[in-house]
Order: sequence, then structure tokens, then C-alpha cells
Amino acid sequence: MINLQKVSKVYKLDSEIVFFALKDINLTIKEGEFCSIMGPSGSGKSTLMHIIGLLDKPSSGKVFIEKKEISNLSDDEISNLRNEFVGFVFQQFNLIPKLTVLENVTLPTIYTRSALSFNPRERADEILTKFGLKEKTHSYPNRLSGGQQQRVAIARAMIMKPRLILADEPTGNLDSKTGHEIMTLLRKLNEDENLTVALVTHESDIASYAKRVIKIRDGEIL
Amino acid sequence: MINLIAVYKEAIADFSRNKVRTFLTSLGILIGVFAVVILMALGLGLKKYISDQFEALGKSTLFLVPGRVLSGGGFSASVSSLTGRFDNRDLENLKRIDNVIGVAPIALKSAKVMGTIKEDFADILFSSEAIVDIMGFEVDMGRFFNKNDVTKRAKVIVLGPRIASDLFGSSEEALGKKIRIENVRFTIIGITKSRGGGGMGGFDYDKYFYGPYTTGYIFNPDKKFFRLSVKVKSENYISQVREDIKQKLLKRYEEEDFSIVEPTELMTAITSIFSILNLVLVAIAAVSLVVGGIGIMNIMYVTVSDRIKEIGIRRALGAHQSDILYQFLAESILLSLTGGFLGLAFAYLGIFFLNRYFPAYIDGLTVVISLVVSSAIGITFGVFPARKAANLEPVEAMRYE
Ligand SMILES: Nc1ncnc2c1ncn2[C@@H]1O[C@H](COP(=O)(O)OP(=O)(O)OP(=O)(O)O)[C@@H](O)[C@H]1O
Ligand SMILES: [Mg+2]
Repeated sequence: MINLQKVSKVYKLDSEIVFFALKDINLTIKEGEFCSIMGPSGSGKSTLMHIIGLLDKPSSGKVFIEKKEISNLSDDEISNLRNEFVGFVFQQFNLIPKLTVLENVTLPTIYTRSALSFNPRERADEILTKFGLKEKTHSYPNRLSGGQQQRVAIARAMIMKPRLILADEPTGNLDSKTGHEIMTLLRKLNEDENLTVALVTHESDIASYAKRVIKIRDGEIL
Repeated sequence: MINLIAVYKEAIADFSRNKVRTFLTSLGILIGVFAVVILMALGLGLKKYISDQFEALGKSTLFLVPGRVLSGGGFSASVSSLTGRFDNRDLENLKRIDNVIGVAPIALKSAKVMGTIKEDFADILFSSEAIVDIMGFEVDMGRFFNKNDVTKRAKVIVLGPRIASDLFGSSEEALGKKIRIENVRFTIIGITKSRGGGGMGGFDYDKYFYGPYTTGYIFNPDKKFFRLSVKVKSENYISQVREDIKQKLLKRYEEEDFSIVEPTELMTAITSIFSILNLVLVAIAAVSLVVGGIGIMNIMYVTVSDRIKEIGIRRALGAHQSDILYQFLAESILLSLTGGFLGLAFAYLGIFFLNRYFPAYIDGLTVVISLVVSSAIGITFGVFPARKAANLEPVEAMRYE
């Protein structure tokens, strides 16, 4: 489903010094997989996640999505893939504070270029009910607990029926009990809906939810 | 194409969260549109006022005035136009020209007169019965002086309705009364219908006295006229008659001593001067629109900086660059349109009050133009901040705190 070939990400620190955030990464993630990416801080986990999720472009190497090379795609085509193919979950939840829970969850639907196979409002209600957030539908994010906010973020990631969920330390800002609830939810989505999930973490008990653990250090896969 | 309704709804929601900021930002456009619309309304009003004044004269009238009035398309009233020049011989000569159906000489006199309730200065216009047709006078009460009055040098006078009520309280009171102009007693035989107009130094027909020019010789021992108005059979003969008059007059006068003026020609000259003046004023006012636009641009840059993270999130959720562009463009357009609408509303109110003193008005075109210009300002000044927002790198933007 996802295939990275010799992907590197280089940051120019000044005209002389360059820094490899990622170095010659080869990686394949298969359909329906649940994998975690582990590594110490600064090892390049987020950078890798952004490249897989098409938020960022590699400095060199090739990224294939469904066997399609993405470097030839226009910004609009990449935006469409971000909209329909991937769902993001972040450590800081990244909900838009001025929008209600419902507006946050349905936000991706206003950016879609293809005909929706569902009614955004109905699907949002359905997911929120499943996630136990029905009463919070019209609340604003700052009135929710961290765990609730993260579930809203997952609901938002799910609304477009993506094939891939990318979660960058989704439990990083949560206590361990809530963290495990979120992980249970993600595992359920992976099992019930055959959703591919890739998550970044540096906690090994969180990583253990995944069937496969990818270890990374200094921009290289171990 | 993305859901524009959603975009505008969000922009409006944003504005209602920041009402004061929204109002202050659109204030520049408000003032600009207000100033431009008011000035355009005054210009239109003035133009209409002038053309109304000339309309009353009809298209088939020519004026003879001393000196050069229109030179090189411009308008230059020379001093000599105030002094009398033409005499009875000219009058008779002109009457004999083919297709001329009437010639009205005009001599003016100003005198202190005494009514029953007030003493006042009156301007008296001495002319012939032909003036009724040329100026389009209608009588409200009594009658206008006729040919017989002119021949007999009758001491009769017709009053405009305004001066009549100023001096006597009402037209009814004035009719039939005697009035003394210097040492001569005149009988008021009629009151004209009101023609409106006047104000701002224009010719206010309602405030004049009208008497036979022959009687007027009492005050005009030289028997000179300051103007001759010539009524032509129809518009089609204007140029021919004009040439004939010129040939006739050239036998007695030098070319630069008189001018033959068509009302339309004069009107075009006058309105073109006012139009230019108005355009200059409107252009100056339009500068404030640009200032308003810069104010919007400034706030939009602030808004973009405030929302870099939000932009990053939206991009991560699949927003295209154009979606972000439209979102911010929608905001700046709404800002300047709000200013435009408010400016227009205030201008409307202003014109409503101005109308008591001046015939100002706005037409549909002014409304359309001011709204189109407001949106155009929103687009022009909003596009730079919006492009900045759209071109942000998603990852960089998301990392921004
Ligand atoms: N825009 C940038 N310019 C320069 N260096 C950068 C930039 N973005 C990331 N880096 C560097 O790249 C390396 C990898 O960063 P990344 O965010 O992927 O780490 P991480 O593994 O996600 O760390 P953490 O667990 O703390 O989130 C870090 O050393 C970071 O300093
Ligand atoms: Mg990270």
C-alpha cells in the first residue's frame, strides 16, 4: 500500500552544514497492517510520518502510494489524497478551537473534490455516537478532556473513510488509562474496518498494541 | 470547486466573534465609499439642476449676448456681457428673419419695492410678450402682459409667486395691488406658476418681476438690451437662423462684440466644467478608498499570522491551496463589502438630508459601481495576504505555535 524507496530528508542548517533527518529509508506498509514506529526524540519519527502522509516531500528517494509514485503529482492531487486516503491524528489533537465538535469532524468533507458516498452530518453523528461523544456534538474543543479531544480528532480522521490512519504520538498528551482507551479504539478500527494504522510512539506498552514495530534512530531504520 | 457557502459562513462567523475589529477595519472603506457616493450624488444633482434649467428654455431658442461667451469650447463670461448693447433696431431686424417666430429682448433692473407686509429688493425683467413662449411661463393667477401692453407701454407687472408672498403674504393678496418701482406705480396683473429651482446663485424665476420692455425704457433711457432671446420655428432651422442673425449683426457690430448661444451648447460647456470639477473631487475621495484597502490588507496579514497553525491543520485535512486562498479572500471581500454597504447606507441618509438644500441624488449605477469597487478593493488588497496563507508549507504551518 505504502512503499518508500531510499527516502532521505535533509535540512540545511546553514550554507555548509546539512542535517539528515531521514537517511535512505526503505519501508513498506501493507494494507490492513497495524504498525508502530518507535525511536528516541529527534530520531525522525514525525518527519517519516509526514512524508508517508504526504504532508511533506522527501529530499530524495521515492514514495509510492498504491504503486503510484507521488513526486509527479500536483499539489491539488496530493491535497486530494490527504483528504480521501489518509486520516491524521496528532499528539496535540490539533482541533480548530473556534469550531464545534461537529464542525471539526465534518471539516474534511468541505474540502473534498469527489462526490461523497455519505451525508457528512449523519456520518459524523454515527461516529461520534460510536465514540461516546454524542452529547458533545455542539461543544467547543476547549470544553472537552484530552481523551475526548483525541477521540474527536480520530472521528475527524475517520470521516472521509480513509484507507490509512497516521497517528503521531496520539497518547503523548494523555494519562496512561486514557492512552490505553485510545489505543483500544485504534485497534478496533484496524480489526473491524480493516483500516491500515501506523502510529508513532516512544512508549513500548503503546507500541505493543501493534503487530509490527519499526525502530528508528538518527533517521535510519534499525 | 469547494463549498463557497461554507467558506462565507465561516468568514461571517469569524466577523461576529470580532465585531469591533471588523467594524474598525471596514471603517476606511465606509468613509471612502461615503465620500465618493456623496460627491457623485452632488455632481449628478448639479448636472440635473443645470439641465432642468436649460430644458425650460427649449431646444429651439437662441440667445444673443454681448461679447464672447463661448470661446474654444470653454466658457468665459466677459465683463461686457453684463452691460447692455442691443437696441430696438436689432430687435426689429431679427424679427424679420425667416423662421423666427418671436424675439424677446431682456433688460434687467433692480429696485427697492414696498409690499403690504415687507420692503424688499426685487429684480425686474423687462421683456416682450414673446418671453412667455421662450421661457415657458405659465400663469397661476391673473394674466401675463400681452402685445397690447407692450405697445401701450402699460404700467403693468407680473410677479413670481415667491416674491409675491414675500411682499404681500400670498399670491391672492398681491394680485391687483399697486406697487411702486422708484417713482412709477405699476399694477400687479398676474402671478406666474412656481418653477422651483433657484438657490445656489441660480436664476430663481419665482423671485422675479416681469414687465413690458417698452415700459422699462423709463429706467433704461439708452434703450439697450442686455440679451435677446430668439425663438426659432423648430430645431431644424437653428443653424440657418443662426447664420442669418450673424450676417445681420455683422453689418452693425464687430464679430467679437456679440455671441449667439444655443442653450444646449452652453449647457454642455457648463456641465463639462462641473463634471471635471466633480471628477477631481471624486478622485480625491477615492484615495481614501485605497487607504481603506491598505487597512484591510494590514488586518488580513495579521489574521493570516494569527491562524498559521489553523491553516496547517486545514491543509493536513485536504484543503487545496485555492481553498485557503478563497477563505481569506472571502474575508477581505466581506470586510470591504461591509464597509461599502455601510458607506452607501450612510451616504443615502446624507443625501436624504442634503436634498432639502440641494438636488442631490444617486442612481442605480452609483450603487452598483460602489459595491463593485468595494469588492474589487477587497480582492486587490486581500489577494496578497491570502496568497501568503495559501503558499504556506503544511508541515511548517502545523508546527507553528
Ligand atoms: N524544519 C526543520 N529544520 C531543521 N531541522 C529540523 C526541521 N524539522 C525537523 N528537524 C530535525 O529533524 C530531526 C527529526 O525531527 P522529528 O520531528 O522527525 O523527530 P521526532 O522523532 O518526531 O522527535 P519527537 O519524538 O521529539 O517528536 C530533529 O533532529 C529535528 O531537529
Ligand atoms: Mg515527533
